[in-house]
Amino acid sequence: MSELRKDLVSGRWVIIATERSKRPDDFRPPVPAAPAAEAVGFCPFCEGNEGKTPPEVFSLRTTGTAPDSPGWTVRVVPNKFPALTPGPPSPRAAQGVFQSMEGRGVHEVVIENPNHAFELSDLPVGHIRDVLRVFQLRIRGIEQDLHYQYVQIFKNKGKEAGASLSHPHSQIVATPIIPKRVKEEIYGADRLFRTFKECAFCRILREEEAAGTRLIAKNEHFTAFAPYASRFPFEMAIYPRRHSAFFTDVREDELETLAETLKHVLTRLKDTVGDPPFNLVLHQAPNPSLSLKGWPDIHLKSHWHVEIIPILTKVAGFEWGTGFYINPVPPETAAQFLRQP
Amino acid sequence: MKKKILLVEDEKALCLLYEEELSREGYDITAVTDAETALAKLVKTAFDLIITDIRMPGKNGIELITQIMGMRKDIPIIINSAYQSYKEDFMTWAADAYVVKSASLDELKAKIKELLGD
Repeated sequence: MSELRKDLVSGRWVIIATERSKRPDDFRPPVPAAPAAEAVGFCPFCEGNEGKTPPEVFSLRTTGTAPDSPGWTVRVVPNKFPALTPGPPSPRAAQGVFQSMEGRGVHEVVIENPNHAFELSDLPVGHIRDVLRVFQLRIRGIEQDLHYQYVQIFKNKGKEAGASLSHPHSQIVATPIIPKRVKEEIYGADRLFRTFKECAFCRILREEEAAGTRLIAKNEHFTAFAPYASRFPFEMAIYPRRHSAFFTDVREDELETLAETLKHVLTRLKDTVGDPPFNLVLHQAPNPSLSLKGWPDIHLKSHWHVEIIPILTKVAGFEWGTGFYINPVPPETAAQFLRQP
Repeated sequence: MKKKILLVEDEKALCLLYEEELSREGYDITAVTDAETALAKLVKTAFDLIITDIRMPGKNGIELITQIMGMRKDIPIIINSAYQSYKEDFMTWAADAYVVKSASLDELKAKIKELLGD
């Protein structure tokens, strides 16, 4: 019989469909699709094509090389045709009962390395650490502008995950409002803090480490596991073991360990189900410079973490209608495969 | 000498409108209705700028501009599509501008002037 499980923080329910249970090989793609950029031989993110991107806002590059020229290892550029444009948002305008505001915000692309073919997990740990450090620097830079209440870092890998280009990249979007899903996570964490008298994420971490059945990897600073109420097959979460609400607070030694952890779990995912498309999402508290009325102790209740969602199943009518998800691979099974060397 | 613009637009009525309006601005317009013909024209003529639609029969506009990059990276390209959604495709970065189709050609004309340094 299938099992209904509730996500502690969001309150979302999932159906773990054990009788539909699948093995990792069931998800392996028959033949990898040829990415468009390789087919046509041009990619705007590749070294040498810097002229096709807007001027860089940040880069790590070899001493003596000029901005917007070759010689970089990580490069951040604004989106050339952004959905949101920088600037102070106008007051909300109402049309009857409907509210709107100008599309203000920041949309940047982090080109993770100059080589089109090297995925994040292929890079040396030191390079992945550099990418993570660039995330921190950009978050700090963007959050200086108080118009930006939330900074979202995410990575879409593969066409089915929303990536239009196979050259490894991540994206940064800063919004002038705190997104609904982020608020729901804060409300959930706030409610649980009052019950547990501690951070809900710290509690989850302690229980996952004690149970061990969903653990994927654990080191001095981070624990990777398949969440109890995983919505998707082989979904993974990476939690810092030191409580911290803001990704910008991660120390240098922790960044190095996070890079190791990411490399490890992404490689394990690739080895287990054959390089699937995935979304990687960073969860963190809103801009700490804001006066967060109602959430004065958010630094105690929020706990930054990474979520990795392989795209192996389709979200369809039932999920859209109910908010329930059907997961054909129990997280315990997923963790068991992901743990195995 | 008149600046040469290659227009790639599968709707013939729009081709005529653009030809008329842009010729009046002093440009020499060559209009074609598909990507393959556009690539053939590019081999023979040194255009100063390209305007291309995205949704076209056969090769689409994004495939066309990425192929042009293999021939000439320096030629300014304007994407002229009725759809905003293609902006999410990073391959559109091969173009220099993205102008959403509108009843008025003012934005397109301004972008042409900007890119040609007129």
